[in-house]
Amino acid sequence: MKKVVATILVVMLFVAVMGGCSKKETKKTIGISVDQLFESRVGVIDAAKAELDKNGYSYIEVVADGDPQTQNAQIQSLINQKVDAILVCAVDQNTIETALLAAKKAKIPVVAYDRDLPESEAIDSFVGPDSIADGVEAGTYMAEQLKDENGKVVVLELLGALNDQNGIDRSKGFNEAMAALAHVEIVAMPTDWDSAKALSATQNAFQANPDIKAIFAATDTQIPSIETVLTDLGKMNKVGEEGHVIVCGINGSNDGYEATANGIADGIVVMDLKTTGETAAQHAIALIKGEEIEEKVVIPGIFYTTENIEANKDTIWGAK
Amino acid sequence: MAIMKNLLFRGKWVAITAATILLALLLAVLSPVFLSVSNIQGVLIQASVTGIMAMGMTFIILTSGIDISVGAILYFTAALFAKLVEISTPIPLAFGAAILCASLLGTLNGFLVVTFSMSPLITTLATYTMYRGMAIHLTSAQNIPVPRAFGFLGNGKIYGIPVPILLFALIFFIGLYLLGKTRFGIYVMALGNSVEAARESNLPVKKITMGAYFLGGITTSISALILLARVGGLQSGMGIGIEFTVIAAVVLGGTKLSGGSGTIIGSAVGAIFLVLIDNGLNLIQASPYIYDIVKGTVLLTAVIVDKVSIERQKKQLHLQKALRIQGVGLEV
Repeated sequence: MKKVVATILVVMLFVAVMGGCSKKETKKTIGISVDQLFESRVGVIDAAKAELDKNGYSYIEVVADGDPQTQNAQIQSLINQKVDAILVCAVDQNTIETALLAAKKAKIPVVAYDRDLPESEAIDSFVGPDSIADGVEAGTYMAEQLKDENGKVVVLELLGALNDQNGIDRSKGFNEAMAALAHVEIVAMPTDWDSAKALSATQNAFQANPDIKAIFAATDTQIPSIETVLTDLGKMNKVGEEGHVIVCGINGSNDGYEATANGIADGIVVMDLKTTGETAAQHAIALIKGEEIEEKVVIPGIFYTTENIEANKDTIWGAK
Repeated sequence: MAIMKNLLFRGKWVAITAATILLALLLAVLSPVFLSVSNIQGVLIQASVTGIMAMGMTFIILTSGIDISVGAILYFTAALFAKLVEISTPIPLAFGAAILCASLLGTLNGFLVVTFSMSPLITTLATYTMYRGMAIHLTSAQNIPVPRAFGFLGNGKIYGIPVPILLFALIFFIGLYLLGKTRFGIYVMALGNSVEAARESNLPVKKITMGAYFLGGITTSISALILLARVGGLQSGMGIGIEFTVIAAVVLGGTKLSGGSGTIIGSAVGAIFLVLIDNGLNLIQASPYIYDIVKGTVLLTAVIVDKVSIERQKKQLHLQKALRIQGVGLEV
């Protein structure tokens, strides 16, 4: 037991000494707090990190694995490490506030990226997607395709997470645009951004409404699951073919890109992750320098269809 | 006494089966399509992923253990497979590697638990983080598509029956056989009843524990590959929270969390029961906001009913014992 304690003490001493050494650097450091690692989030933080590198800033990246308490502690630790600014994508907008207020008290500027914190009094700026506009974009396209259908038309909406502002806004925008059509009934099902749940939900939705004409996925990573169900049901007809089920999504992942390019999906709204990450990093830098910045910058996505997606492959972050 | 025990034993899965039938009847009334062949088939396909995992988990819980790292093992297995296929490894080889690897990760859990006599909950919480981290590192949290041809595992049919259902059935029967007809099954039960007694009787405690966790790993890998085939590719959120569904299926199925008592059939029905709740809510087009309330309430009710029935059985046993001591009761 004594040996174990001794080993732990030695390791702690070592870490402390190493930590002490790195503090001597004069380079400004930015703390990047990430809610969770997944493809599109990594896209944004990679762009932010590249921008920071370019400008000669160093960074400390912490990942909360979807746990608000962990994120709180991590931000506290970033404050203790005396970072010069914090970039944050909150797991939960309510639980993060105390930690962010502590940062404000320590005079550390905070930039929220990707997920807005509309109620927060601690953030200096927000840079992220315009999720309502993205939803409207997809909804407008779908409404246009369905406007000449006769009789009642059932549309399946696969929701993101019910407590995620981006998911809520995408749905809001989509429903706004679809409200133009009186004969459309939208059946909404929760998925928690989980493709396995999207798969079951789609399967069950088709049991209840075999004549679903269109599907909107809050994230295009769920389109392969939709394809699985349509294949199961013998309804996998491509764009332009008789009996095709209209499929739209938002994101810009490789799944969405491939599906659209192959005519499985009609179109996807592609988010501009690069600009988001870069702008967030620029805001942090500007705040450190004491420059004026816009409080809110929203970056809308671009809608690509089967016809023009291939030509724009280079601008789609997920396309491989 | 033997008959009494047998009844108790069977009673465990009778409760969940009755609940499942009741729920099914209710859904049949509420939705005209519920009893259609395609819907039943859909329910069974959906239940196959958690159901197969529940088969392995049953053995783990029976040894009085628990493995909350199965969601991470699922993600790691899927990640390894997708990554290997991406770098053009032949599919059978990737398949073998994924299954082997998951079995090893499961066995490692068992090894750690039994060798250092550590709490299975804490041990597998640690390995959960570790395995998930390994998968994130392997893939840089990227999504990786798998070839559509591999979809046979998720979409394919043999004699008109979907492959996931066949696999679920196959693993169910293997589980029944292992638990009911082999020495390993008897030892697993014995271990769950009392580790000390098992050690004193010179049972190979280490081997049995590792064997149970090995089964957890291997069943998880099969579920991972089915899920991967159905979802069409690897996604970084894969498997998050699935351990709770799997453990819930096993516990709802009547397996005691303290080990030593439970059935394979109960766990399989438990998995189907949980899928039925989602299926029903989808079919009746319930508001997306009430899903969790309904699921939580149903789970709670099931657990309360289970608890009450266990207490009642305990009371009856006590009563009979007391009567016997007084020389009034008859030997059952």
